[in-house]
Amino acid sequence: MGLLQEIIFGLVTGSYIAIAAIGFTLIYGIVNMINFAYGEYLTLGAFIGLVAATMIPVPLPIAALVAMVGGGVVSIVLARGFFTPINDTGPVPMLLTSIGLGIALRNAIRLVGGRGARYFETETATFRFDAIPDVSLGPVDLLGGFFVTSEQLIVIGAAVAVFVAIHGLLTRTDVGIAMRAMGDDESLARVRGIDTQLIRDSVWVLAGVLAGLAGVLMAIQTNVSADTGFSHILQILSAAILGGAGSPYGAILGAYVIGLVLAVSTAFLPSSMTGLSSAVAFVILVAVLLVKPSGIAGKEVREA
Amino acid sequence: MSVLDKLPDGHGDRALLAGLACLLVGALFAFTPLRAQLPSALYVFVEVGILFAIYGMLVLGLDLQYGHTGLVNFGHVVFFAVGAYATAILSAQDSFSGLALGYPWPIGLAAGVVVAAVLGLALSATSIRLRGDFLAIVTLATAEIFHSVFVNFEETFGGNVGILGVPRPIAALVEGDTRLVVTLLVLGGVTLVTLAAVTRLTEAPYGRTLRAIRADELVTRSLGKSTITYKTQAFVYGAALAGLAGGLFALYNGAVAPGFFTIQVTVTIWIGMLLGGAANHRAVLAGLAIIMGLRLVSRFALDVTPVSGDVFASIRLIVVGLILVAVIRYRPAGIWGDARELGVDR
Repeated sequence: MGLLQEIIFGLVTGSYIAIAAIGFTLIYGIVNMINFAYGEYLTLGAFIGLVAATMIPVPLPIAALVAMVGGGVVSIVLARGFFTPINDTGPVPMLLTSIGLGIALRNAIRLVGGRGARYFETETATFRFDAIPDVSLGPVDLLGGFFVTSEQLIVIGAAVAVFVAIHGLLTRTDVGIAMRAMGDDESLARVRGIDTQLIRDSVWVLAGVLAGLAGVLMAIQTNVSADTGFSHILQILSAAILGGAGSPYGAILGAYVIGLVLAVSTAFLPSSMTGLSSAVAFVILVAVLLVKPSGIAGKEVREA
Repeated sequence: MSVLDKLPDGHGDRALLAGLACLLVGALFAFTPLRAQLPSALYVFVEVGILFAIYGMLVLGLDLQYGHTGLVNFGHVVFFAVGAYATAILSAQDSFSGLALGYPWPIGLAAGVVVAAVLGLALSATSIRLRGDFLAIVTLATAEIFHSVFVNFEETFGGNVGILGVPRPIAALVEGDTRLVVTLLVLGGVTLVTLAAVTRLTEAPYGRTLRAIRADELVTRSLGKSTITYKTQAFVYGAALAGLAGGLFALYNGAVAPGFFTIQVTVTIWIGMLLGGAANHRAVLAGLAIIMGLRLVSRFALDVTPVSGDVFASIRLIVVGLILVAVIRYRPAGIWGDARELGVDR
């Protein structure tokens, strides 16, 4: 396969990671916690979408909407039950709580949904571009023919729509402006009369909605099982930290960097070691934290 | 005057005495014709007990890092894993997968400790300055990286099969029930000696400095202590201990594979530590005993309930996750921890 094809795969992966990373980084910036259970929100969203699409049955766009609403509800309920009561204990207890919650949720999903992978049934149109010449560099083909499926276009399109919507929300609405203010300085925001708990709740809902959408897109693109979200959480986290924790725009950039690196490293690694491509994302994460821990657009995270 | 009055007072000295006694009795069984008989009902207890002794070394090292110094290491299993793999690669003979060099096992065990310590040194040189939650992420990511390296480099690490044919020094001396008893005594003895060593370390002024760093790093630095040096040392000690545990695990188990070194190990020892009460060596061991006792209970419960093993494993993990959540929320200092010293509410 040519490099162009891998780049398209990278853009698709980057798109759903970006949607999830925005939600993750908003929670980090405003609630001030690393939510390790966030991957499970994606899995839950995908399963809610699956139930809507197969049991009721509704068309896919409506199933995605159902998953987004479901994700939002799940997120606020879990936040109210687990995270809001310990809001002032600091980042480490909240991280540990989210790790415990993640284990419990993942196994609860496995208990109800079973171990097997499930698929969305979609009709796919494939667009081929075979006329592009091969340019070989060693074993790697730098151009080469490629194809795009309608599913992949849907994922990328949905991501772009989300970026526009988030940008509008953060710059044009009162809630969004209050969110940015709180991310900047919580005490100052409270002094200015912002109801910080209300804003925190809206961030939880928003993050859940984004997780629901990202989960459905992930499921459309590949499949969904109880471990889907967990296997992506470190990539989401890497994207958010790479972009500068707390910055939604940085998270988008970080997600595409991660997506492209994953895809391109698959092209360059020998075929027996493709399993290492996930490790590549963590190597990037560690490298970023060592060289520029504040990420592309964020705040200092070192103490000493 | 009875013998009891001559026993030392300190917890550390008593642990040392008990540990040496265990090792002595173990050696007695191993090198004399003396043999032990176990009722078959006790097998499962002895097996879990052996695992408890190994995890006990892990939790003591982690408690040195988190409980005393405040370093949030959420990838502790990686040091356990590299210790085990280093020991296995150096000492294994004729493994049909992975590398097997066939050196004597003491060299392998020493290498396991050294490799884990070096990894700990490298990790702390680069990441020890990070804020708590980010240090947790880096350590966790490191553990995941190593896990996928172990799975993917089949020629060196044997992939999912791992490395077989690791020598089992105790099994080479005695067999059957006696082997289990001796293993439990020896590993339990090593854990008790470890307990004595870390107690000695943390009761000394050195330990006070570590706890001062956890309480307030800035103040400690203003008193002229090089906090980064102390933090690095604590991190490396914990890593080396985990390497020792890993090496002993490889020599007990006779094989290593990625499946033994999942994030589940990290989670188990973290829950044990938080449940018992961080910064208290005996409390973290007790907490670990509770959480591993749960494993024992669930193994018995599995026999009497009509659900499948898969379902049961899921239920057990849900309970484990919720215990972690509940401990942090309702008893942040743990059962025996000192809430005021740990600086938590309640």
